[in-house]
Amino acid sequence: MTEQTPRINSLYLEAFTGQTVMITGKVSQIRGETAVIDANGEVTVLLNRESHLRPGTAVEIVGKVNQDLTVKVLKSTNMGSEIDFSIVNAVVDATHRYKEIFYADNK
Amino acid sequence: MDYGYGGNTSYGAQGGADGGGFLGGSQAGSQDTPGGGKKYGQDTLRPVTIKQLLDATIPYPDADPKIDDASLTQAHFIGQVRQVSPQATNTTYKVDDGTAVIDVKQWVDSDAAVDDEKYVPKEGDYVHVYGKLKEFNGKRHIGPQAIRPVTDFNEINYHLLSATAVHLYFARGPPGQANGGVKSEGDGLFVDGNAGGPNGVGGRKLPAGMSAMTKRIYEFLQNSPQNNEGLHVHDIARQLNVPSNEVFKSGDELILQGFIYTTIDDETWAVLE
Repeated sequence: MTEQTPRINSLYLEAFTGQTVMITGKVSQIRGETAVIDANGEVTVLLNRESHLRPGTAVEIVGKVNQDLTVKVLKSTNMGSEIDFSIVNAVVDATHRYKEIFYADNK
Repeated sequence: MDYGYGGNTSYGAQGGADGGGFLGGSQAGSQDTPGGGKKYGQDTLRPVTIKQLLDATIPYPDADPKIDDASLTQAHFIGQVRQVSPQATNTTYKVDDGTAVIDVKQWVDSDAAVDDEKYVPKEGDYVHVYGKLKEFNGKRHIGPQAIRPVTDFNEINYHLLSATAVHLYFARGPPGQANGGVKSEGDGLFVDGNAGGPNGVGGRKLPAGMSAMTKRIYEFLQNSPQNNEGLHVHDIARQLNVPSNEVFKSGDELILQGFIYTTIDDETWAVLE
């Protein structure tokens, strides 16, 4: 299992294709096997059997970024409805700006 | 925060005996290094990411680890419990914060009274762990003082930001005066642009926690032309266009910390170099 899952949002999908990442977003739509979450922009995620997303609440997803920029969910954790997304985005920004304490390049 | 065992709060006990102070066999005692001249009051509790713990240097066995060249006694971090392995003498939790995974080994205290109220981490829980970084057979783990459940998930993000701020403080020095006096409160945490050399020439770095006003006055004293008598409070107040009582307050702080001293009278200050 990958032990490093950098926190990203929709802006970083392309830079992380093929890698396992962590995305915190707000669930906006669920359609069967896929869902759309808002993480500083829309991200389409491919659900697994264990994911129980609730529309309108925050979810933290650990997943792999596919070539088409969808994210295959490996694990999801519900974060409730109190998450402040401005702080989430600040953390994503810090993660990549000061990555020395968050992740190593190319695994 | 509850530091259960009390061993690390006994500053007084370590104070007098330089280097030789092994007292009472408390856990904190074991970090002392003979002849190391350990200074009193240097115990720290630092917010970190797990990657920082794995990257920390341990100069020699049983030494305090170093992160960003600053020595680390206690650390705290937030992560999600991936695995719980109960064993005869301890329970090992694998905790993942997205930057790395580390084992947290909580020893079983057979003497402790059974406490149904006590929080027991489960797989999938987000926990806030406080403890010491240890290394055994080349593998690092945490000896926890406390493991607390995270109930407000914003705490995870607060923690990551404070770990970043502390990292930048040690790696780049304290945040300098914002350029051109434009102080942006919100972004102040992340030193943009002026990160290189805080406080300009020749001076010492002020410790964190000094107010913006104090930093400003110190910088002003360092950078303005003056004779060896220093500057009078009212001069400083006039030139910086701030009330004198503010200057007095900050000045007292700087004098107390030994960054400036009084010259011809109590109201005339010069930088201590």
